[in-house]
Parts: sequence; C-alpha cells; structure tokens
Amino acid sequence: MHLILTWCFLAGSLIKVVYLSSNNNNEADDKGKKSSNDCVGIPNGSSDYPVLCGRLHFAKFETSKINDCLEFISSKQLHQCADWHHESSSHDKNIIKATGGGAYKFADLFKEKLGVSLDKVDEMDCLVAGSNFLLKTVHPEAFTYVDGREEYVQIDHNDLYPYLLVNIGSGVSMIKVDGDGKFERVSGTSVGGGTFWGLGKLLTKCKSFDELLELSQKGNNRVIDMLVGDIYGGVDCPKIGLSSTAIASSFGKAISENKELEDYRPEDISRSLLRLISNNIGQISYLNALRFGLNRIFFGGFFIRGHAYTMDTISVAVHFWSKGQAKAMFLRHEGFLGALGAFTSYENHVAIKHRGFCTAAVPPAPIPVLRYQTLDPFHTY
Amino acid sequence: MAEKSGGGVREMAPPAGNSIHRSGSRPQLDLSKAAIQGNFEERDPTILLPNQSDDISHLALDIGGSLIKLIYFSRHEDRSVKDRKKKFLEEKIGVSNGIRRSYPILGGRLHFVKFETAKINECLDFISSKQLHRGGMDAHDWNSDAPDNENAVIKATGGGAHKFADLFKERLGVSIEKEDEMNCLVAGANFLLKAIRHEAFTHMEGQKEFVQIDQNDLFPYLLVNIGSGVSMIKVDGDGKFQRVSGTNVGGGTYWGLGKLLTKCKSFDELLELSQRGDNRTIDMLVGDIYGGMDYSKIGLSASTIASSFGKAISENKNLEDYRPEDISLSLLRMISYNIGQISYLNALRFGLKRIFFGGFFIRGHAYTMDTISFAVHFWSKGDAQAMFLRHEGFLGALGAFMSYEKHGLDDLMVHHLVERFPMGAPYTGGKIHGPPLGDLNEKISWMAKFVQKGTEITGPVPMASPRTTGLGGFEVPSSKGATLRSDASNLNVGVLHLVPTLEVFPLLADPKIYEPNTIDLAEQGELQYWFTVLSEHLPDLVDKAVASEGGTDDAKRRGDAFARAFSAHLARLMEEPAAYGKLGLANLLELREECLREFQFIDAYRSIKQRENEASLAVLPDLLMELDGMNEETRLLTLIEGVLAANIFDWGSRACVELYHKGTIIEIYRMSRNKMQRPWRVDDFDVFKERMLGSRDEKPHPHKRALLFVDNSGADVVLGMLPLARELLRRGTEVVLVANSLPALNDVTAMELPDIVAEAAKHCDILRRAAEAGGLLVDAMINSQDVNKENSSSVPLMVVENGCGSPCIDLRQVSSELAAAAKDADLVILEGMGRALHTNFNAQFKCDALKLAMVKNQRLAEKLIKGYIYDCVCRYEPAGS
Repeated sequence: MHLILTWCFLAGSLIKVVYLSSNNNNEADDKGKKSSNDCVGIPNGSSDYPVLCGRLHFAKFETSKINDCLEFISSKQLHQCADWHHESSSHDKNIIKATGGGAYKFADLFKEKLGVSLDKVDEMDCLVAGSNFLLKTVHPEAFTYVDGREEYVQIDHNDLYPYLLVNIGSGVSMIKVDGDGKFERVSGTSVGGGTFWGLGKLLTKCKSFDELLELSQKGNNRVIDMLVGDIYGGVDCPKIGLSSTAIASSFGKAISENKELEDYRPEDISRSLLRLISNNIGQISYLNALRFGLNRIFFGGFFIRGHAYTMDTISVAVHFWSKGQAKAMFLRHEGFLGALGAFTSYENHVAIKHRGFCTAAVPPAPIPVLRYQTLDPFHTY
Repeated sequence: MAEKSGGGVREMAPPAGNSIHRSGSRPQLDLSKAAIQGNFEERDPTILLPNQSDDISHLALDIGGSLIKLIYFSRHEDRSVKDRKKKFLEEKIGVSNGIRRSYPILGGRLHFVKFETAKINECLDFISSKQLHRGGMDAHDWNSDAPDNENAVIKATGGGAHKFADLFKERLGVSIEKEDEMNCLVAGANFLLKAIRHEAFTHMEGQKEFVQIDQNDLFPYLLVNIGSGVSMIKVDGDGKFQRVSGTNVGGGTYWGLGKLLTKCKSFDELLELSQRGDNRTIDMLVGDIYGGMDYSKIGLSASTIASSFGKAISENKNLEDYRPEDISLSLLRMISYNIGQISYLNALRFGLKRIFFGGFFIRGHAYTMDTISFAVHFWSKGDAQAMFLRHEGFLGALGAFMSYEKHGLDDLMVHHLVERFPMGAPYTGGKIHGPPLGDLNEKISWMAKFVQKGTEITGPVPMASPRTTGLGGFEVPSSKGATLRSDASNLNVGVLHLVPTLEVFPLLADPKIYEPNTIDLAEQGELQYWFTVLSEHLPDLVDKAVASEGGTDDAKRRGDAFARAFSAHLARLMEEPAAYGKLGLANLLELREECLREFQFIDAYRSIKQRENEASLAVLPDLLMELDGMNEETRLLTLIEGVLAANIFDWGSRACVELYHKGTIIEIYRMSRNKMQRPWRVDDFDVFKERMLGSRDEKPHPHKRALLFVDNSGADVVLGMLPLARELLRRGTEVVLVANSLPALNDVTAMELPDIVAEAAKHCDILRRAAEAGGLLVDAMINSQDVNKENSSSVPLMVVENGCGSPCIDLRQVSSELAAAAKDADLVILEGMGRALHTNFNAQFKCDALKLAMVKNQRLAEKLIKGYIYDCVCRYEPAGS
C-alpha cells in the first residue's frame, strides 16, 4: 500500500485523519501516473483527467491522546508521503494539510515529533467543501432518520443550494451554504458535543464519549427530566400543544427530589443529557433554517457519529419545532467533513473531486471507508 | 346618587353603570351604614363598609414550587372628607360630577408579599391575621359576629394551587379557584406594562435602564417566562396571546443539574456561587481551540465559549476537582445564553420588537440578566434588546388578581399609581395592620432588628469598576465581591398606591415627552452628591422632627427609627440606584418626606412655619404700602425681585439656613431684594413685562387665570408670592394658589394657605374681596351661593392642593382639583428650586409659563445655568414657544 495523501482535522476533542492510499495493481494505474500539471486547471471535470486509484481511509483519535495519533502517522509513514507527485519540492514533502483549532495548537508538536509542518486550512472552508463534495459525489450520502430507520434521500445537484449545515463538534456551528465556496456562519451554540461529553464525564465518570453514548441507550430520561405530565398531573396540555411526555424541564426533577448524584443511574443521566443537547440543537437549527428560508438542514460532526439515538432526538426536535415541515438530514461521513475539505485545498485533488465514489458497505458500519474503484476492508482506528 | 349620600363615601360609591355593576349577580360594594372611623378632623380617615359582604376579594396568590407570591388590596382612606371650603372651591373651579368623572377604581393600596412555599403556614397566618380572605380587617371588625362565608373563594395560580387547596380550606375555610397560569402571566404583564410607568428595564453590563413604553405601542411582544422550563408567548393584546415556543432548558435545568454537580442546597445558594466563579476552567473557549487567538473570520473572539463544559473532556479531572463556583457559572451562562438565543430567534420569526423576560430563574440576578441581554444583543447584532420587569416575580399573582371580575383595575391609568417604599416592607403600610406588625411600636422594634441584620446594607459598597462582557459576551461577571449580598441587584417592589383622583396636569405641552427631573441622577457623581447632602442634613431634620412632636421620649425613639430607616433607604439606593425604579431627585426627596410620615412625624417644620408666617404677615402691610407707591412698571419689577428675594427663605437649603441667624426676616428680605441686580442669570423679565403691561400703545388682555405654584412658608409665600398674586388679581386675573397636599420641609401646604390669606386679607381690600370670591374666608361662607353673586365684581383668589407631598412636583400626577383648575388657566407660575429648577425647569406648557427661583446651591448653579449660588432665574416662555 502506498500512502499518498494525508489530511488532518484537529477539532476540539477529536483528531481526524484522512489519508489516501494507492494501489499499484489497480487498473487505473497508468492514468494516475500522468503529470499533475495536466490535471490542474480542469475544474469542470472534462473527461481528460487523471484517474487515480486508491482508497480514502478515515481514522480518528481523541485529542487528549494526540501521541497515539502521532505514532499512528509515524508508523504508517503518512507524513513521508504527503505528496503524490514526484516533482514536488522537498518543501512540499514535509507538509500535512490540517484544519481545526488544533492545527494551530499542535503545529509545534508535529514539527518536533514528525518533522512536518501543518499547513493550516480554514476550518469552515473545509467543512463546507467537504459536505459539498460528499453531497455531490457520493451516493448515497444524505439520509433522514425516522423511527429508527434510515432513509436515503436523493438530492438533485441542481437543487442542492442553499442549505443549512450544522456541524456539531465540541460546539456547534450553523452555516448557510449557497454554493461552492459560498457560505456564511449564521449561528451556532456552545451547547454541543463537548457539553454532552464534558458534563457527562462529570456526572457519570464515564471514561469515553462512546461509553457515555452507549450508556444513554439503556437510560430512561423520565427519571430526571420534568415532563409536562409531571406538572399537569399526567395529562397533556393541549392548550399549548404539549403532550404529557414532552420534556418541560431537563433535569427538572432533580430539583424536588431529595437525591444526590449517586442516587441516579448514569444511564438515565446520560439519556437526559443527550436529549437536552439534541433537542436544543435541533430547535436552534430549525429556527435558523426558518429564518433564512432554507429547506434542508444537514447535521454533521462527531457528535452524531452515526449514533441512532442522537439522530433520532435531533430528527424529533426538528420535526417537533417545524410541526413536521422540516426534516433533519444526516451525512454518512459526518465526522470527517473538515478533514475531507482539507483535501480540496490540495491543488491536485481534481481527479478525485470529479470522480464518483461508492462506499464499500451500506451501514450498519458507521464509518465506511470511502473507496475509490477498489474495495478495501472497513478500516477505522 | 351615592356620591351625595354622605361626603365620606364619595369615592367609594360605585356609580350605576360602571364596571363594578356589570353583573347583577356579582357581589357589590354595600354602602349602607357606611361610616367614617375616627375623628372627622383626621385627614385620611378609614372608611368602613360594615355591610360589605365578606366575599369581596382582595387577595390573589401564585403558589409556586419555591415561593408563594401574594397580592392583596387594601381599600384605603380616600380624600373624601370635604369641608365646606373645599366644596365651595369645587363648584367655583368647576369640579362637578359632570366634569370630574366618577371613578370605578377604588382608591387603595396593592401590596406585594412573598413567602417561601416551604413555610406556607407563615403565609396562612399572615392571611388570617389580616383577614384578607374575608375582605380585609376593616370589614371583619364590623362583622365579627357574621358566620364565615363557606363560599369564599381565593383566586390562585401556580402549580401549588391544587396542592394546597385542602390546606386553605381547612385553615381558612376558603376555596382556592385555580386560574390558568399562562392567562395570569399575560394578564399580569399587560397590567404592569400599561399601568406602571417605569416597569420595564434593560440590563447591559450591569447597568439598568428603565424604558418608558408607549401604551399604544405595546403589542405585539414576546414574553419569555423562565420557570423550570421556558415558555415563549407572543402577546397581541389583552387576553390575546399564543405560546409560540419554549425550551426544556430552563431554570429547572440550572437548578437540577447544579444540584447534582455542586451539592448546593438551594437555588439561591447556587446562584450566589456563580457570582464568584470563573467559567474558563470548564468551558472550552475559542481561544482554547485556536491557541489563544480569535477566530475573527467568523467574528468569534478568543473569549467566546466554543463549547460549554467542553474543557471537562480533555482534562483528567473528576467532578470533585472543579470548584462548585466555576461549575455554577458555567451552567448559568450556558442556560442564560441559550434562552436568549432561542428567544431572539422566535422574536425574529414573528417580527416582535420587544422581548420581556420573567420568571423565577431571573430573580433580579444581575449576571443572569446580563447574559440573556448579551445573547439577545449578540445574535440580533444590536437590533433587539432584552427587557426585564421590575415586578417580574408577581406576574402570575397579579394576573390571578385581575381574574376577579370586580378587581376594579380595568380603568387604571399610569397616573393613578404611586409606588411607595415603606421601611417596613414587605407588609406594612396602609391602614391595615395585622398581628405581624401591629403598631408603630412594633414597627420600630422590627426596624431595630432589621438594622442590626442589615448592617451589610449600610456597610461600604465595594466599588468594582464595571467590566464589559466583551465581544464574546462570556467574560467573568463583574463580581461585586463576596461581601455584598447576592441579591444586591434585586429590585424592590413597593406598595402600589392607587389614587384615582390623580390626573395628568392638562397644561403640559406633551405629557409623553415630559420628564420632571431636570438633572439625571445617573450622571456622574450626582447621586453621591445628594446622598451626602441628605445624610448631612439628617441629624438636623431629626432634631426638628422630634421637637415638632414635643421632644418626648416616644418622639425621640421614632426620630431614631426614622433616621435609621432613611439611612437604609439611602444606602440601598447607593448600592442599587434602580432598586426603587427610575430614580429622580423628586423621588428621593419625596422618599424622605414619606419616611417621616411613616414614623408619624406629620409636620416636622410646623412651629418654624408658624413663626415665620407670623413674622412675615406682620411686615406685609408695610410692604404692600411701599408697592402701592410705585408706578406700574417699577412695581412689576419689584414684585418679581420680591419673589426671588423671598425665595431665599428656604429650610431646604443649608446655605440659607445659616443666613437666618443674621437678622430679622424683613431685613434679610430687603437686603436680598436690594441685591437683585439685573440682569439675572436667566432673565426673561422684559418679555414677561411686555406680556403683562404691553408696549406704549397697546394694552394686552390680562390673563384669565393664573396658577401660582408656591414654595416655602413664611416670607417666601407671604412677602413674595402673595403680593404677586395681588397684582394679578388687581389686573383682573383669577389666581389659583397651588400648594402641597402634604407637608414637605417648610413648604406651605394647601391646608395652611387659607389662614395665611385670611390674615393677609385683614390689611388689604384686594386680597379680601378676592379671597371672599374664592371662598377662602370663613366669614363669607355663611351662604356660599350668595357670596358667589355678591362678589362678582372681584376675580377670585383660590387655593388648590397639588396632590403631592414633596418639595418637587411631577406634573404627570396632580390632584384632580388642580387638573380642573388648570382648565381655564393661561398662565403658570412655578416658584422655587424644587418645582422650577430641580423639576420642571425644562417643562413645556400649553400656556404662558414663568419660572422663578433663586439658586441656593452652588452645584446646581454650575450645572444648570453655569452660574453661582444666589443667582436668579426668571424664565418666561410664552404659550407655543
């Protein structure tokens, strides 16, 4: 396996690495050896482009375990082949495109440990480029999540814009996308994945985000949340259009009960927290979509991570607040938007950009490896 | 009509056809056997309605999870005892039933009280002791043998209304009638926003600013009620509203999560913790992500919170490793900011300009309000403002009160309400005293305890410079330090006095833009200055007050309590200038007078006033003779000089008090007048003279009626204003002397004026005839109807009360007598610092206006007219100028 490209996305709590490996045995080999000079400047996808064969790999690390990440890169020699054309200057050889806040923070560390420079690419640019890329080239990419079922949505390329892209990382950015490179961060909230994981860690002593998510699946939020029914004696409040099971106040039951933290099950706490945050993001997203007249809301970012319950609560929130007018949509590669977008900042990505992708496996695999022409076993780190 | 059946009940009588009588089946005020309790000479006797049925309800409750809010209405002494002079006057100036509308509104007081829900028995005791559930004590006393009314109903709202219904039945024998919460909330907010002038305020970076809202431009608005959860209600009008949104992340989330995370025992404790917190230890900031740099491309500063609690992810810390203070702050910001954001988005969605935030989560907590305000400001890019309500905690209870069909508040207007802040707050004031604070004695004892407990209030206020919340809006709050009570920024809720007889002074050019106070106390150092002045003057005032009550031990004790109470008021206002609503000098000075009255110092300057009146009246004949020897032009100038000169006699000015020891009244007066060298600092005398005397060929019409707002007793009114009044009368102008209803400093009151005029009239025919025509002379009162006819040759001299008891005057709230007298007036003369400078200096009138005062305060002289102490102001503004 020949590793040809590496992109890092160093977000608040996770580091995502995307790298492309080439396979010399591939049928498209000869074309891939064409000079990159031929490729540049063919933005509209004429048929005369180099076709590169290879695989896009996705890996992620917790930011606190950055050394694991560095070791991984080092062990795979990813930083040694950060360019794929031989005529690149030696200067280029030692560059890894990176985005996310950590690209600033860890620049020195990368230089010291791996001897490479991080070429910082704007985070928002990457996110949008990544999602535009996915929505246009990968099928199926977008799906809705209703009653525990995924439903893929065909999106007409000509009717893609404008849309709202909600990236749920540690915090949440809401971006109105009007076209390639045309976007604006219109809103956001500090109540995001970091809040879920941060508060969850304090409340449950979970050791990882995944563990916390896992817990939530087994929890019952009614133990802690004050429901409309709790206030109105078990009946709906049709006057204001709230059912008795609607949450009136997240964690509201903790007020009146004479219980301490230890008296609550971590599962229930995790579930309450997840619903609080998903509901809130769903609501603010919908209100922003409404404000700008956007029909589609795509949710991405590591918080969702193919997690059924998150997607479900966000879908429910959007459905609830829009009275069924709007649907939340998700991207299969949601956690890697930034890292993928960093890819578009390489000048010689044209081939991939305009070539169709197919994914190896339809879910349940949450993070399928994007394949380019050849199959590769599911790989995640 | 009922109005005629005994003067005492005039105001209480519901005229047929008004709102009280909308339904025949409803209880009505029963006026039979109505009697006035106490001495008829007493100024404000309590009117008892013995046959009033018990179920006229004066109580409404909002029983929440942590607090019970109680609103009760005490029917209150009306100014309904009309002596014959007053009756005559009313006929004279046209205050008749036809012109003066019959008020369906009951005069009285609206009290706001809070109890902890956990201590519901205290609340029940309170209700029981005051017999509120049976219509108040007055009714009860006269009806003690009546059986308890089994059908008595109290309106209540809030979650506890169901829960405690049985308890109320058992303890008080009353049924609780549950009112819909949201209805109550909206009704309460609508009432407050319409009836109280400065109810709404903004809160940015620690600064409160009151917003006056045009009643006609109130709707639609967004009402965000932050309880356990959050409801967002679009209000389109009275009873017209819709819950458009909400969020489950509310006060319950803050308190619930906070309790789990910090082990705090109460919401207030949690809130207090946040005051000392630093959220940067837990929140992931933009700077944390971008290595301390801003992410300017999208407008996020390094201090912006990128992820609430996001730092807890990466650090290898447990819950115990974080300070509860930091956790509380982080949580508070997360929730406040979120609510602000969602509220703004909803306001935007429905095109609502105003967002009012209320509910228990806010609780007057400065940082909560700041964070919400910041969120609204941030997300709206400054287009929208978060507003808060001063009576925020009482919205539900007020709404429940409004749900009585006969609450009588429907027609209430802003100018009918006066809010007072008794020291015995929350539950003293008014004529009703229950066991909790039976009499003044108990009140004073309570005061003593309060002062002991309240030493923190009077302690030095830590003066931390207000820190901005910065671009991200998430800086550390401007903590005022741990020594300060956490509720320092809370606003006090006073007793609302409903005075249906108050009206807007009809001659104001534009009541909407009228602002009584000339200088904003919010200006740098202004409040501090007045704080010092009033504090320094306090011992002297206490001496006078005690002396006025005979210097007895009881008087000394009351004087002591007054000094403490007033000092506490001042300290409170220094700590939080907005505590009592928008604060102007007029309010501050009135507060002092009210505080004196609260401790039953009816008139601290009584003997001084008397002495000076006598001394001045003794020299008046000489002065009048001197004036009569002058030609018209010289006389007018001398008169104006005289008003300005006599204005030097002012016990409200320390500079002048010192002069008193240097000579007799007339000596000082003459000396002072001789110093009146024109031009004065503000000198419109020539314009005024032309209006009065005309130019050579033209003789102008005299004014039809002049309103003379008089100031001090003694030389000021006797040697200054009376001779001027006499001149006007002589020129055929009716004169109405407008004086205070209640004593304030040495200001002359409307009660004292007739005697002064009568005495002066003994030596002057002009005054005598005019006073007779105006019904001021008792001798001429034998047949008032005849007097009217006999004296048609003379224009009348009258006296009306202005409706207030302050050295300043707010012309938005004057007595109906004054309003009626103003109808035909075409000249207004305001005299003295309080009424012509501190207030109304910039007031515009529909008619000619003359403002006369000597500036007896160096600071004011510099600020207002760039002059010096003892400079004079003669400001004349013809109608329409």
